[in-house]
Amino acid sequence: MQGTLELLILNTLARESMHGYGIVQRIHEAAEDLLKVEDGSLYPALYRMEERGWIKSEWGVSEHNRRARFYKLTRKGQKQLEAERANWNRISSAVTKILQAT
Amino acid sequence: MKFELPNLFKNSNRKQIMFEVEDELQFHIEMLERKYVQDGMSAAAARAAALRRFGSIERAMKRCVNIRSRNSLLRRILKKSLILLGIAGFFIRIISSDRHVDHIGDIFILIAIFGRLLLYVRGLSPSNFLSATNETCPSIVTESPQDSSKLRGA
Repeated sequence: MQGTLELLILNTLARESMHGYGIVQRIHEAAEDLLKVEDGSLYPALYRMEERGWIKSEWGVSEHNRRARFYKLTRKGQKQLEAERANWNRISSAVTKILQAT
Repeated sequence: MKFELPNLFKNSNRKQIMFEVEDELQFHIEMLERKYVQDGMSAAAARAAALRRFGSIERAMKRCVNIRSRNSLLRRILKKSLILLGIAGFFIRIISSDRHVDHIGDIFILIAIFGRLLLYVRGLSPSNFLSATNETCPSIVTESPQDSSKLRGA
């Protein structure tokens, strides 16, 4: 479903600020490798989300002492996450109802 | 020289953006390589696996640079200036009782509107729409974890 990646990123960043690699790893771990996010497609999504003001980035130092860009959620992003979560719940419950009815 | 300065600024700004995007993507690939080496792969195999998993670096970089460029500092300053100009024009229209001064307010508002429209149109490109189709949707792994562990064991 379109927009799912944004929802997953927002949800991941709600806990703590992270670099791109950390975000992908966290999504894969949480989904127990059932969902596959193509690593290269993560960055255009992150940049678009930053452009929309949902996340903010700054350069920092990684756990391996390497320069890395860290992303964190903004207040606008927090609101967006709540809206996307509600939307996702609405859609998934609607689909479940349809599947149960047929 | 006078006309080359904006281009010079634009090019150096784009180069800086390219450098930063490349550094960020490179970091991601390095982390993947490190993970695969820890999993027991050789350095060459880890590099190949990391590049395979990442997908097209060139495509990712091009998209990121385009997005970052349209959100550059110069562009943001221009956007905010136009908003301020529009507000100033609006206040001039409200406060002034002189017809000629009113026209100045109208001109400010018009410049602000057309400037914003121009920036919006310049920011549009087919890739902006094409990229929004599949990228925002992670794919579902079709083979079950049990299947993949069987394959690895074979």
